[in-house]
Amino acid sequence: MNDFLRVSPLKILEGSPYKELGKGNLGVLMARAGVGKTSCLIHIAFDKLFRGGKLVHLSLKDAPEKITSYYHVILSDLVKVLNIENEYEVRTRLDENRIILAYLKESFDLGRLRKSLGNLVKEIDFALDTLVVDGVDFAEAGRGMFEGFKAIAKEFDLEVWFSALSHRHITEVNERGIPFPCNTLDDLFSIIIQLHSTQSGVFLRLLKNHDSEALSDAMVRLDPNNFLAIE
Amino acid sequence: MVDDIQYLRNIGISAHIDSGKTTLTERILYYTKRISAVHEVKGKDGVGATMDSMELEKERGITISSAATYCEWKDHRINIIDTPGHVDFTIEVERSLKVLDGAVLVLCAVGGVQSQTITVDRQMNRYKVPRVAFINKCDRAGADPYRVVAQLRQRLNHNAVLMQIPIGLEGGFSGVIDLVSMKAICFEGPFGEEVKEGEIPSFLLDEAVSKREELLEAASMSSDELMEAILDGSVSEELIHAAVREGTISRELTPVFIGSAYKNMGVQPLLDAVANYLPSPAEAENSALDMDDEEKEVLLSSDPDDPLVALAFKLEITPYGQLTYLRIYQGGIGKGDDLVNTRTREKLKVGRLVRMHADEMEDIPGARAGDIVALFGVSCFSGDTFTDGHVNYSMTSMFVPEPVISMSISPKDNRSDTNMAKALARFVREDPTFQSRVDGESGQTIISGMGELHLEIYLERMKREFGAQVDTGIPQVAYRETISRRAEFDYVHKKQTGGAGQYGRVAGIMEPSEEGGYEFISKVKGGVIPSEFIPAVDKGFQSCLKKGLLIGFPVLGMRITINDGKHHAVDSSERAFVQAAIGAFKQAYPRAKPVILEPMMKVSVESPSEFQGNVMSSINQRRGLIMSSAEDGVFTAVEAEVPLAEMFGYATTLRSLSQGKAEFSMEFSRYAKVPESLAEELMSRYKERSRRREP
Repeated sequence: MNDFLRVSPLKILEGSPYKELGKGNLGVLMARAGVGKTSCLIHIAFDKLFRGGKLVHLSLKDAPEKITSYYHVILSDLVKVLNIENEYEVRTRLDENRIILAYLKESFDLGRLRKSLGNLVKEIDFALDTLVVDGVDFAEAGRGMFEGFKAIAKEFDLEVWFSALSHRHITEVNERGIPFPCNTLDDLFSIIIQLHSTQSGVFLRLLKNHDSEALSDAMVRLDPNNFLAIE
Repeated sequence: MVDDIQYLRNIGISAHIDSGKTTLTERILYYTKRISAVHEVKGKDGVGATMDSMELEKERGITISSAATYCEWKDHRINIIDTPGHVDFTIEVERSLKVLDGAVLVLCAVGGVQSQTITVDRQMNRYKVPRVAFINKCDRAGADPYRVVAQLRQRLNHNAVLMQIPIGLEGGFSGVIDLVSMKAICFEGPFGEEVKEGEIPSFLLDEAVSKREELLEAASMSSDELMEAILDGSVSEELIHAAVREGTISRELTPVFIGSAYKNMGVQPLLDAVANYLPSPAEAENSALDMDDEEKEVLLSSDPDDPLVALAFKLEITPYGQLTYLRIYQGGIGKGDDLVNTRTREKLKVGRLVRMHADEMEDIPGARAGDIVALFGVSCFSGDTFTDGHVNYSMTSMFVPEPVISMSISPKDNRSDTNMAKALARFVREDPTFQSRVDGESGQTIISGMGELHLEIYLERMKREFGAQVDTGIPQVAYRETISRRAEFDYVHKKQTGGAGQYGRVAGIMEPSEEGGYEFISKVKGGVIPSEFIPAVDKGFQSCLKKGLLIGFPVLGMRITINDGKHHAVDSSERAFVQAAIGAFKQAYPRAKPVILEPMMKVSVESPSEFQGNVMSSINQRRGLIMSSAEDGVFTAVEAEVPLAEMFGYATTLRSLSQGKAEFSMEFSRYAKVPESLAEELMSRYKERSRRREP
């Protein structure tokens, strides 16, 4: 799976002093609607899975069937692009190491998540190390929600990745250059990556990486067809 | 009643088990005056619902066989197939969907979209069946039709739109508001037979206006005319009906109705919806395969004057003989007509032609395209196509899943022996997912099916309907074998025992086939194996696939390529090359690293969320792989993949760990390699059995 890791979106961290999010920390991928947040977030999940991690994908908007099909479609693309020969084994291994938790119709609260994660660890010995969260409305969720996630990250020794929706018409940026909706939460996030689409292509830009400075040049260009980093 | 195909509807009623579809059907029959009294499923009156025609169904309170019936509603003739809800009887659901033009998807207002709803919905998608949804049990505690609509959108990806809103819910449920006419509808009389329209209660007016806007927005996506009318402020009821009908038939819209069949509320508007929104047979596209033209697909016309094409989709044993349910796709059929069975080319004459009403019947002189009727005294299999002999068409073959479980049975006495044979012959004809064979080695009769309950039901039917008392063995999983790497073979079969000998040499490669089936390729050059013996080599290899060498189960996924061989001018024969291939198989198979495969089931467990941990643990203990867990309100649905071998008795386990509040369904997912330890155990058991059989 080294082929994938060479073109993973998390390649953006390679040139920085901190090459990973690290357990107990929160990271976020932010983008405007329709740019490909969920796909890119699933690529981050693939990065973790291909490194041998165990992952929970938490969805607050889509049913598990839809998330599973996202993973399958993206894996099928990867199989073609990276000429993966043992697709069946790869798929089986990914399925074994990934569980989808979905909270539909406003069923979500941190207590329920904590209980479900506890069940996974205690009842089926699923020692997850990454939580990928899709569908949290950053504008509505409030700081308490992310503080709760941070506590869960520490309690379960996880790294937690989110996707966040930014808006063209909201141009607020804080003094550290972090735009809405993360501008009031950036102290809780260790890594902030922005996915943006321009006429010249789709790019990832590293806005924050722990306490590292001088990040302005940290950009990775993605293939708009498959969201893989262009080498 | 109008005898026009435009006024005919062939519908199915499908749902998760216990959603109340049999009760709903019973009410439909009552309101359409097909029955004069209402009986409940597991009714206290001891009569049972009309559609649950089999004694066993009445006792268990579930629907097993699809009972067909028809009724009339506001100038429309409606043929109804009541389909089973349990996944073990999925073939019944699949068959009825194949012959139907539309369906009512029944959902429980409390349980919402459940595991079996998803399975049934997937099946409906496969056969492109337009549907209307009915959210039943709105009178129950915890009923929330709005949540169910959201689930229809979220979990089933339906563009679901409410056509009504409830007046009260749970114990206070007293009627519905029709968002097309903007009237309140109440159901009065002892069985809700009097439909009364009135003004919308003021406290619900805002909500009704808002939901009507949602309805108009969704419906206008299918109709430019409605869109313009909305902009002009000239929306009429006719325009809305036309747009909803168009959206429903194109499957871009799912109109949702609500009610409580048990409390006699909401059924008549649902019947209106069946008539108004579901397609007539003339609007459904059906095709057949032309057997005289390389099975080219041909569209059928639904014209009663065209040559007859009809499909036998269900067989039933009755005291008067075999009853064959037919869906007529094209042409017409009358008493005394000659029919041809496309599969066997046998001719037969139509004797009695009947229209079915659960287990009662009505003789009719004839029927035409679109109709669902039944014939007496016709010998055929389920899935056979009948024509009038002017065309040689076969309806597209239906998807039939392979059985995953088997069980040995033996009659307790001589009388049971004869009756068991009769019963098995009948069941095999009725249900392609039920199979019966005699094991060549043990001489035991083995029955196979889609799950424990599937086999149990047939055993009970055997006892009750045929008087056959049988002893049963332990249910066995349908294991398979396959190879995991390439191996070469070069085998000479040589036998000289006086007179003409036997000689044949075959050489080539055995390798895994990704397609999962068996492939045979001959690359033999220069006539080293004469071409007339090549099929014998193929036959020899195929004979070995029936019984693998590891545990004696069929072998899947193998490609055989022969590239060399040798023959003898006198001693080579078809038989010699069959034997040579068998020898080659035995030589190469162990080298090709064979493995044992077991059926993996996609299991869905629904329970109150407090039992999530227990459910997960129970799956984990069964070598299951948890794929997801979805919480929706107070319920959690855990999806997992579990080996079938571990699922025996799971219903009891689940009941005990959830205080009886959880339920599960399962369906075949795929074959997967068994763990090493289990493989060794299976192999040693097989060796032991083989050794015992040796003289």
